[in-house]
Amino acid sequence: MLNSVKTWLSRYRQSHPEHGEMPKPKALQQQPLEQARLVVLDLETTGLNPAKDQVIAIGAVAIRGNAIDLRDQFDLILRRPELDITETVLIHGIGPEALTKGHETEDALLHLIEWLDGDPVLAYHSAFDKKFLEKTLRQQLGYSMGHAWLDVAELLPAFFPKAETGGRGLDHWSEHFGLQASTRHHAAADAMVTAELTLIVLNKALKDGIFTLSQLDEKLRHWRKLSRMKQY
Amino acid sequence: MTHSPDNQHPQNTRAIMGFLREHAPFSFMDEAHLAHFAEHAALRFYADNDVVLSPDDGTVTDFYIVKQGRIRGERTNPKNGQAETTFEISLGECFPLAALIGERPTRTLHRASGDTFCLSLDHDSFVTLFSESDPFRDFCLRGVSSLLDRVNQHIRSGAMESIGTSHSLDAPLDRFALRNPIVCSPDTPIRKAVALMHENSVGSIIITDDERKPIGIFTLRDLRTLVAEASAPLEAPISQVMTAKPTCLPAHADAFEAAMKMAEHHFAHVCIKDSENRLIGVVSERDLFSLQRVDLVHLARTIGTATHLRTLVSLRSDVSRLVDTMLAHGADSGQVVKIITTLNDVTVRRVLELNRQRHDPEISFTWLTFGSEGRQEQTLLTDQDNGILFSVPDGMTEDQVRERLLPFAESVNKDLAECGFTLCKGNIMASNPKLCLSGREWDDWFIRFIDASTPQNLVYSSIFLDMRAVYGPMGPLTELLDKVLTRIQKNALFQKMLAENALNRRPPLTMFRSFRYAPDGEPHTLDLKRQGLSPFVESVRVFALAHGVGAANTLERIDQLAKKGVFDTKDANAWKEAYSLIQAIRMRAHQDLLDKQQPLSNYINPDHLNPLDRRILRESFRQAQRLQQKLEVTYQL
Repeated sequence: MLNSVKTWLSRYRQSHPEHGEMPKPKALQQQPLEQARLVVLDLETTGLNPAKDQVIAIGAVAIRGNAIDLRDQFDLILRRPELDITETVLIHGIGPEALTKGHETEDALLHLIEWLDGDPVLAYHSAFDKKFLEKTLRQQLGYSMGHAWLDVAELLPAFFPKAETGGRGLDHWSEHFGLQASTRHHAAADAMVTAELTLIVLNKALKDGIFTLSQLDEKLRHWRKLSRMKQY
Repeated sequence: MTHSPDNQHPQNTRAIMGFLREHAPFSFMDEAHLAHFAEHAALRFYADNDVVLSPDDGTVTDFYIVKQGRIRGERTNPKNGQAETTFEISLGECFPLAALIGERPTRTLHRASGDTFCLSLDHDSFVTLFSESDPFRDFCLRGVSSLLDRVNQHIRSGAMESIGTSHSLDAPLDRFALRNPIVCSPDTPIRKAVALMHENSVGSIIITDDERKPIGIFTLRDLRTLVAEASAPLEAPISQVMTAKPTCLPAHADAFEAAMKMAEHHFAHVCIKDSENRLIGVVSERDLFSLQRVDLVHLARTIGTATHLRTLVSLRSDVSRLVDTMLAHGADSGQVVKIITTLNDVTVRRVLELNRQRHDPEISFTWLTFGSEGRQEQTLLTDQDNGILFSVPDGMTEDQVRERLLPFAESVNKDLAECGFTLCKGNIMASNPKLCLSGREWDDWFIRFIDASTPQNLVYSSIFLDMRAVYGPMGPLTELLDKVLTRIQKNALFQKMLAENALNRRPPLTMFRSFRYAPDGEPHTLDLKRQGLSPFVESVRVFALAHGVGAANTLERIDQLAKKGVFDTKDANAWKEAYSLIQAIRMRAHQDLLDKQQPLSNYINPDHLNPLDRRILRESFRQAQRLQQKLEVTYQL
């Protein structure tokens, strides 16, 4: 992975003297679900507060043609030696040593934007990842284009309203479908489990007659409305 | 592909490699090949009942492994148009191998059974792995059979361990190699060296230097190559064609070490050296392994000439040791079972002879054995199922003959029990007046058995319809068998009832393809005999009797049924393989119990098997299901 990033960067710098030609985010439109590339992402951070905490690790996989393509994945630990990460080290298992092996933040983030290629991003409780990622991209690269985000934590109950999961967490749904994370609180492993859940959602969506990204987005809006009504 | 340490792979690649490592054949593959696999795979999801692959999809391009859930194969029965499950593929198993290798569409609809995840590999990556990884290629081409070899290797090495502590192979090598080996110097012409071998009728000659240190070896096998390839003139010095640096062991090494070396390197001779590296002898494979053959022949002869019952009793432990040895030398379970039966037959004959010496009833009779002994399928755990077929001398009634034979039979049954043949709980023994009958009485007995088939009769079918003569004239039994077979062949109703009965014992697989444990016995155990072997034995019996096959042995019956075209040859082989494997696992379990001095039992806990054995056992049970399906279709059950 590290080597491939280095090769890519040197090529990128030759062809992109400044960051002028970043890929543009694509909106949720008529792209067929079966052909669109969807990125499923998970971040590990130093804490829960986007205003003061920082991203430590980014793990992501891509879904295309209803399959998780392992040739197309992203697994990086950022180089943030200036951060105090003692707080969350226990949860993530990323200590200072592992961090220093990571990348120059700017290079890694550049690579991430290129790798995302403007495709829609899915995450579990995506609001969290979205805030952290957008803040990081803005601060480090001055990049402020917003990707289309979809929350897997919403997609699951929208398509499986009757599932008795005993909770709304990633673990609850994984357990419900008998999935096993290879290791928890590891960005890439969590992204993988989230992507597996996404495959289950996509399978159901196609059966329910939802064939495009905009239909999927519509379904979510509808579900949100419904669940708000239920609260009253 | 270059090898790289594990921590250089991304987490998700590592996780998939870890998954692969737990399953054959991937567990035998190199790290680099596993990494290639994991990096090029795609993960797909199929909900319950989703079609994964269909014959309509065209030529198969991708290779799949089940990562979670199950896949079932579905074919439409041409008779009733209903979909039937033909196979199931569970965790860690691959598909569709035959179609992928044959570059054709699959012939079976593959459907998800429950929520299922599969890893898939596209055609290019599959081809790369196929060409670079030997274990992978072997598996793709030979499927489960390639794994079967590994199981057999495993059984073999297990038995080797126990042999290490037994007498014969434990002995120091110099006991086998005391003979003066034939030697010559390196400049000896080939012709002269071969003449030396010929004069001394040996298979090898050692080439030594002036200090009698071995520098090469020349064997009959080398001679064959030399002649076939004409690689050197016979006048050339032997050093040109010898194998240099022959394998040597010190004299204090044991025979087991030598046997292992030979097995490992596929050569047939080992030189024995003294502490100064001088040659003192040579041991050939034949020297070592003929010991075992001598054991068998010798043991049979010792049993056959024993003069006292207690000698026979003490010889039984030698039989068990021999079984160990046979397994270690790679004898398949079918051979071993036959050897056990042979030795059991010799024992039974000797017991009968000893009893006749003491008290001869002076009646001509044939000693019959039934059930597993009749089928020549006995293992070490065996009970008596026997009977007597007698002829009635002029001037005597059948009851008078019986009166004379019964005390004799009782004594024989008792003696056999002392030799380890447990008394039959159902009293299926020659001392039972109902089973000590004349030819006419037996015939009547079978007429009743076949025409008035009660449920009780059917339970006995597995015993009395597998019948063999062990002692006495064979003629009367052949006559009886002919009548019985003809009668069964004509009686479709009886066949159908037999078939129904054969389906009572289902292979221990649940709908979900995990093991179904035995209802009796310890929790979480399988009864290898009743749940594993019986479905084969009983189904095959129905086909055999219906087609006039006289053999009682299950494997022989399968062979003959294949010859008659009743079974497809491929099916027949698969069933023989599966049956033998369950038998092998059962025998290994018996040997283990013997070693631990525990009572023999047919129950095993599949959790105690290694994953490969477990999978193959499951595959074998699946074959039993297929055989039963054939029975169901044939008799429309």
